[in-house]
Amino acid sequence: MKTILRSRELNCPSCVAKIENALGRVEGVSRAKVHFSTGRIEVEHDGVGDGKLIDTVRQVGYNATISSVRGAGE
Amino acid sequence: MTEMTRALETAGGRGDSARLDTIRTLWSDPRRRRELLAALSGTLIAVALIAKYLAGQEGWPDMLLLLAAVVAGSDIAMRAAFSLRQRHFSIELLVTIAAVGAIAIGEYWEAAAVTFLFLFGAYLEARTLRHTRRVLEGLLDLAPATAVVTRDGRQVDVLAYEVRPDEIVWIKPGAKVPVDGVVVDGLSAVDESAITGEPIPVEKSAGAEVYAGTINQAGLIKVRATGVGEDTTLARIIQRVEEAQEEKAPTQRFIERFARWYTPAIIALSVGALALTRNVELALTLLIIGCPGALVISTPVSVVAGIGRSAKRGILIKGGEYLENAGKITMLALDKTGTLTEGRPRVTDIVPLSPGASTAEVLYWAAVAESGSEHPLARSIMDAAQRESDVIPAADSFATLTGRGITATYGGWAIAVGTPELLAGLGVATNPDAMRVLGELQREGKTAVLVALDDDVLGVLGIADVVRGSAAEMIRQLERDGVGIVMLTGDNRRTAGAIAGELGISDVRAGLLPEEKQDAIRALQREGHVVAMVGDGINDAPALAAADLGIAMGAAGTDVAIETADIALMADDLMKVAEAIHLSRLTLRNIRQNVVIALATVTALLVGVIAGEVHMAGGMLIHELSVMVVILNGMRLLRA
Repeated sequence: MKTILRSRELNCPSCVAKIENALGRVEGVSRAKVHFSTGRIEVEHDGVGDGKLIDTVRQVGYNATISSVRGAGE
Repeated sequence: MTEMTRALETAGGRGDSARLDTIRTLWSDPRRRRELLAALSGTLIAVALIAKYLAGQEGWPDMLLLLAAVVAGSDIAMRAAFSLRQRHFSIELLVTIAAVGAIAIGEYWEAAAVTFLFLFGAYLEARTLRHTRRVLEGLLDLAPATAVVTRDGRQVDVLAYEVRPDEIVWIKPGAKVPVDGVVVDGLSAVDESAITGEPIPVEKSAGAEVYAGTINQAGLIKVRATGVGEDTTLARIIQRVEEAQEEKAPTQRFIERFARWYTPAIIALSVGALALTRNVELALTLLIIGCPGALVISTPVSVVAGIGRSAKRGILIKGGEYLENAGKITMLALDKTGTLTEGRPRVTDIVPLSPGASTAEVLYWAAVAESGSEHPLARSIMDAAQRESDVIPAADSFATLTGRGITATYGGWAIAVGTPELLAGLGVATNPDAMRVLGELQREGKTAVLVALDDDVLGVLGIADVVRGSAAEMIRQLERDGVGIVMLTGDNRRTAGAIAGELGISDVRAGLLPEEKQDAIRALQREGHVVAMVGDGINDAPALAAADLGIAMGAAGTDVAIETADIALMADDLMKVAEAIHLSRLTLRNIRQNVVIALATVTALLVGVIAGEVHMAGGMLIHELSVMVVILNGMRLLRA
């Protein structure tokens, strides 16, 4: 499963690694990719709740929302 | 009385818990929390500085500064700790160590200033960056939410992506078009500026294509859905823009390689400085400037702004690399037919030759003869004639002679439209006047045909693929930008030369096969040119692939162009070619400016710190300022 989150608060590319790291350590997440330029966060996982993903990004220090545009293949 | 008290208590209690909830939500929202902490620590610092320097107070203002450092630092330290638990060495950790160190050696002002500037800077940067990302959000907002369809005989609202393919969608005036589709009924003007960047609404009647995200302005239209949800031009544009903004430009990759060793090197330098000089403040200041902020942000901020700005103008650039390439173009190769010209022959000249024959008559009889023909030239004659008179009767009988023309009969009249050989074959005498006009038109690169009625030559028609109105202006603008122009065409030398002469293009290569177009591009590249190619159709594909930059025009609705071209122009407008190259140049220049600003700042800070001229608060201030300068410079592109 793939979930797309968007954050409008990324201000320094150093946060990319932080968020990817934190999401990657969530149980059930197989891959997390953060795009600094657009603030798009791609998470591949096996059914982790949206809330858990948002909370994780929040703990790193950024607000994120689930993207309204559905990802490819959904 | 007791009731009243109870009521008040309840109200008060509810108020308290509501207030507590508000605080809790504020606290759990990282952005609000940071804003709150930055404001609080900023106030504390201001009070402390006033007390210390204006009121001459001693002692307690320092405690306020310590408190400010703790207030702002708490959030930074928390995030540092969270990252550390993930075994990630973050910038926050550097700032925390520096702040704690500063407090340990009694430099409360430095600690307060560093933590406050870090929070406040991040807030300002995120706020400003949001502007550069806004174009994409604008596109996302365009995606319409609902559509009106008829199901089980009733009109119902459904979500836009639930419309079934081939279902008929009703689009009312003022409504957003929810799907890609073909108009089956109704007449309206549609504002397509979101897709094509063209501000003038486009007339739509039955058979016309409409795109999701455009706005129906005038009348009710019914549209058969051909693309829904992810399968719309708008969705593909959004995806393309997003991927393009995320794709790294060559400069960015270079900077990131630099940044990868920059931070560890600064930390090592800091530890080394501490070991050698025992100067704690110097070591801590080095930590502060260890974040390569302006450097890593310099290129992406320009790329996002440049690509976003272009997208808004209907110019889709595939990514940072293509943006940089487009900025370096020195030569533009143009296909003739369909690119410089409209790609559709039109009747350009009507010369009556028989006494008493008017231009309308020449056209009328030619059209009658051509009424049954499928030939492209016939189409252009019919179009011209229908503009003159309402009804063109169909010929009673007609015969086409390939390469010569057409003969037809109508109401007892014999009509012939074609070459002198055709007329000679029919025994119609051509006069010297007719031959002279024919020759003149052909020298202008036009196709010329004689029109004869019975034994009489009525006149001559000149037909040509006319040059687009904006072609000359585009070429002038590109030449102003220092870009050379070359025309590559499969058409014959005479026609190509006539068009090139009209447009002032001196480098014309005519009669080329698709592979020869590709060879021409390669030859230009060997001469040291960075070559862009504008073309359409299959025959340009090899040349487009060989060029450093392939540009496709009129890409709205043609998915292949959006997917494969390096730059796709949504509108069928040549001026967009010049605009795309111009915007790319501005962006490339912007990237270079930002890299210079960032490198200069980093060097100056490093020299300043080592020379002992820059201290913690100052270092942090310059660092945050340089990030802001780079972001603001990138944002200029949004208004370019």
